[in-house]
Amino acid sequence: MSTRGNVRRSSRLGITALAIVTVVSLLGIGWAALGERGGRSLQARLATIPEPGAGSAAGFARAEGPRAFDFPADHGPHLDFQTEWWYYTGNLEAADGRHFGYQLTFFRRGLVPPGERQQRPSSWATEQVYMAHFAITDVAGQEHCFFERFSRGAAGLAGAEAAPYRVWLENWRVTTAADGVYYLQASQDGWALELQLVDRKGPLLQGEDGYSRKGADPGNASYYISQTRLETTGAVTVGGTTYLVDGSSWMDHEFSTSALAADQVGWDWFALQLDDGRELMLFHIRTVGGDIAPYASGTLVETDGSLVRLGEADFSLVVQETWRSPHSGAVYPARWTVTVPAAGLALDVAPYVADQELVVSFVYWEGAVQVGGTVAGSGYVELTGYAGSMAGQF
Amino acid sequence: MVLGVALGVAVVVAVDLANASAGRAFDLSVDAVAGRATHQVVAGPQGLDEAVYAALRRDGEVQLAAPVLEGSAVSPQLGGRTLRLLGIDPFAEPPFRSYLGAEDGLPLDQLVDFLTRPGAVLLSVDLASQYGLEAGAPLTLQVGGYERQAFVAGLLQPADGLSRRALEDILLADIATVQELTGRLGRIDRIDLILPQNGAAEVERIAALLPPGARIDAVAARSGAVREMTVAFRTNLLALSLLALMVGMFLIYNTMTFAVVQRRELFGTLRCLGVTRREIFALVLGEALVVGLLGSASGMLLGVLMGRSAVRLVAQTINDLYFAVSVHSVAVPVISLVKGGLLGVLATVTAAGLPAWEAASVPPRSALSRSLLEAKARRATTRVALGGLLLLALGALILAIPTRSLAVSFGGICAVVLGFALLTPLATRWVMRGAAPPLGRLAGPLGRLAPRGVANSLSRTAIAVAALMVAMAVVIGIQLMISSFRHTVVAWLSYALQADVYIAASEMTGSSPMAPVDPAVLDVVARRSDVAVIDLIRAVNVDSPYGPVYLEAGNSADYGDHLLYLAVDGSPQEAWAAVRDGEAVIVSEPLAHRIDLPRHGGTIQLYTDRGPRTFPVSAIYHDYATPNGAVIMGLDTYRRFWDDAAFTAVALELEAGTDPGAVVQSLRETLPPTQRLVVQPNRALREEALRIFDRTFAITAALQLLATAVAFIGVLSALLSLLLEKRRELGILRSVGLTARQLWRLVMLETGLMGMVAGLLSMPAGWVLALILIYTINLRSFGWTLQFRLEAAPFLQALAIAVAAGLLAGIYPAYRMGRIEVIEALRYER
Repeated sequence: MSTRGNVRRSSRLGITALAIVTVVSLLGIGWAALGERGGRSLQARLATIPEPGAGSAAGFARAEGPRAFDFPADHGPHLDFQTEWWYYTGNLEAADGRHFGYQLTFFRRGLVPPGERQQRPSSWATEQVYMAHFAITDVAGQEHCFFERFSRGAAGLAGAEAAPYRVWLENWRVTTAADGVYYLQASQDGWALELQLVDRKGPLLQGEDGYSRKGADPGNASYYISQTRLETTGAVTVGGTTYLVDGSSWMDHEFSTSALAADQVGWDWFALQLDDGRELMLFHIRTVGGDIAPYASGTLVETDGSLVRLGEADFSLVVQETWRSPHSGAVYPARWTVTVPAAGLALDVAPYVADQELVVSFVYWEGAVQVGGTVAGSGYVELTGYAGSMAGQF
Repeated sequence: MVLGVALGVAVVVAVDLANASAGRAFDLSVDAVAGRATHQVVAGPQGLDEAVYAALRRDGEVQLAAPVLEGSAVSPQLGGRTLRLLGIDPFAEPPFRSYLGAEDGLPLDQLVDFLTRPGAVLLSVDLASQYGLEAGAPLTLQVGGYERQAFVAGLLQPADGLSRRALEDILLADIATVQELTGRLGRIDRIDLILPQNGAAEVERIAALLPPGARIDAVAARSGAVREMTVAFRTNLLALSLLALMVGMFLIYNTMTFAVVQRRELFGTLRCLGVTRREIFALVLGEALVVGLLGSASGMLLGVLMGRSAVRLVAQTINDLYFAVSVHSVAVPVISLVKGGLLGVLATVTAAGLPAWEAASVPPRSALSRSLLEAKARRATTRVALGGLLLLALGALILAIPTRSLAVSFGGICAVVLGFALLTPLATRWVMRGAAPPLGRLAGPLGRLAPRGVANSLSRTAIAVAALMVAMAVVIGIQLMISSFRHTVVAWLSYALQADVYIAASEMTGSSPMAPVDPAVLDVVARRSDVAVIDLIRAVNVDSPYGPVYLEAGNSADYGDHLLYLAVDGSPQEAWAAVRDGEAVIVSEPLAHRIDLPRHGGTIQLYTDRGPRTFPVSAIYHDYATPNGAVIMGLDTYRRFWDDAAFTAVALELEAGTDPGAVVQSLRETLPPTQRLVVQPNRALREEALRIFDRTFAITAALQLLATAVAFIGVLSALLSLLLEKRRELGILRSVGLTARQLWRLVMLETGLMGMVAGLLSMPAGWVLALILIYTINLRSFGWTLQFRLEAAPFLQALAIAVAAGLLAGIYPAYRMGRIEVIEALRYER
């Protein structure tokens, strides 16, 4: 059920993340130190983040029921909501079979509710903060390289626009080439992406026509749009060497104004693209006790783009192996058996590379996975709340 | 006697401290400004188009880049002092400037306010508590003459002492806020960059991305150019303090001699007992070492205390002349103390060398007759005087070396001063010989006795006279220099300030930012019937290959006709026409001097918004306002090469017979109230300029006072030692019937005579010193040619001070001599 899609995104790099990151960078901690100090600072900062529905979230629009979507306008930003993200992941292959995974994510956070915003003459003036993460996994080289950036959503430095659709932070950007065709570009320190994405299934509305509920309170929800099959061609540069590649990308676009439950420590999220033309999205939330919260859900996208909503009873996720991070010391699940009986799926999901941990403002694992079993495929998995420094923060 | 050493050392330490503090403040402000940046992208006076930054960012190859927009603001709530309004982008800042705050700094809501609310500024906890401000407090700021409403979004907790001092005068705000407060929308001042060590290729690449008029510079080169400007000023100060030490050395010599003389008997006895010459020599030197150590130690303490006021004076001068620094606290760099202390000890030991040798040469048969020593000294005077002449010649030679090295120039000065000092004994002898007959007629036997007494103990008196003479010469020299300077400036001001009334956005101070005047002013002024001519002036700092240069662009029809020219191509009218109608510029003397501009046919390169341009120079003019150099340009030319339509001042010439005061009054009432404008009549502006001038020389005046104090103490101790030796002589005089009263008169006559000799001798020495200061030092340090102006007052004053010092110094010895029993005095020399 896509209701929970919201949860995973929220909890994933949630509402607090951008605020925290803003704070961290404002605090004048050097970028190099962000990783190590992030945890402590996050914790310190977190205490000041108001409860959902109060304080900083007050005054923002909330996702309280299904709404009408209008594309391309709804590809752009929704500034009435506090949090929004555009999330690109994909698996790519060079002609010689060399496999790459990539992630390019843009997060927006509104610092001031719409009613309190002021018209200001300076073009630097803003109440929007952007953060972006960019990562490439080179399977043959067993390398995973990641970068993080922040910027204000003003002065041309970062932003998102609907028509023509584009979202960017400095020189990391996704722009529209033609209807349903996008360019994705990012580069840093000899690592680069230069990709063309062609949308094969069109924007899909997750949950109830894009209204993705998260909990008992109807306002604790988000609006959630996906492009689950973006045919991808282009070039990947790893450590200065460029490879021509093709493959498949996945995009999630979600906006909301809500926060996490206090007893949630992290989540596991799966976006799998199967070779038979179907896609599977699944997630569940883990609670403080290590249990799975009763909000697990998913969506099966058929080859024709039709959706099958999956509730917690419709699938199972069983961890087969674990991996201990040498960076954070966190122990992550590292192999799963995923079954969706109704769809006849019994999948073996394993990371292409064990170490795809991102040590940025906070620590999480986001990586390319290989799918075996009843149907082969590739996908992306995100695991949060495993690193010690995150405990108790979500 | 420790006091003498202490004073000398204190002066050196104080000046060094002030210099070091000023330098430190400069470094701090560079750090506050540049942070860890290695390079900066800069442009003309209007700054950069903000789009340049976004373009650089979107190009993607430059990741360590931070935009900065600066302004200055004054708030009555913050003591009315000028604060630096520093606009930054918090997302780009962390790699550059660390003083933004500690790790667990501002609460989230304050940070959000800082970023999103108009007028949000951050200031340091110290600054806030000093003025009783808290987070959330409204803050009224004056920025460029406009009143702006801001508020304290939060308080910055400096992480360390360095940040604390860097933050003392900073209002930190988001770049959007500073754009709005300063009205400079769409502009940033510069982009700070951190590039890799061997970033030549990177620099090239970035340079290629920049629009014309924008440049990329290495930070070290930029701050170096600014720092360079103050070197001359600071060297001058140091030299002055060394002069004080030199006077101090005379004094130490005297004190040590006094100590030796007092114990001649003892030394004689010691020698009889078999103590060798070497041991006595070592003994006296050892004493000197102890005195030097004690004196230096207390001098260091005293110097630190004096340093506080010296720092204020130095900082003020640097502020007025060069750039805004804020020095509120005096750091005490160990190196300054060590320098001062070592100097003190070395000077003491060196100065004690001669007395030590004298002590050692006391023959075992204790009472070497004083007369023998004096006879020796008398014979030596001629030789010493010859040495003095030689030194004078040497000094002249050194000063003739065509160099800009200040050290060489000061070496020359030292030689000259020492030369004069060496001439003193001979001159004293002559004067005394000449003075005896007339004094005898005036005051009877006492009148003859006094000058002879002085001449007969030349080994003592000459030193005291020399010390006093040197101090007085310094006083005369500096005073003549300052008064000549002031006189020149007064004359120059009447050329520089030609209009009747000036309207500007801020008070005229040397280095304050030049805020544009609201153009609405022109409408008001144009409607007036009593205004004959309206001229616009744009004053900005522009960059050049020679560092920042003050540029003044005007559209006056005849401004250049009346400037005070050093060199001009054709007539002043022709030169000005070339400026007004062509692209020629007029360059100030200090700048021309600094860049070795030929008198005629030179050119000067400036960085314009269209890239580097070379302008022909049609004239060089005298200017005393901007030591780092000024360029005058036609307003049309300026606007052609810089995208800047603003103006800094409006100069009005009134219809004949109009009272400027009345016009100023009515202008103040009718000008638009949006901007706080300063309307000043010519006279007020002139006074303001002179006020700054006087402030600039406050430290110099303070130093010369100290030199006088040191000299006074020198005279006092010399006289004490002298009179001590003459006890027997005076005792005999008493026994043959000299009354205590007569004795008193005799002593006063002697010391007064010494003061007078010192005063008289200091006149030619001071005059020569003034000439050197004016024609060599000033020209070499600042490129200023001053009109030498001989005034009687400094000479008379010096003479009066010298005589007064002599008389004053005589009081205590005379009192002591008067109380000595005749018998005891006679017993003195057995």
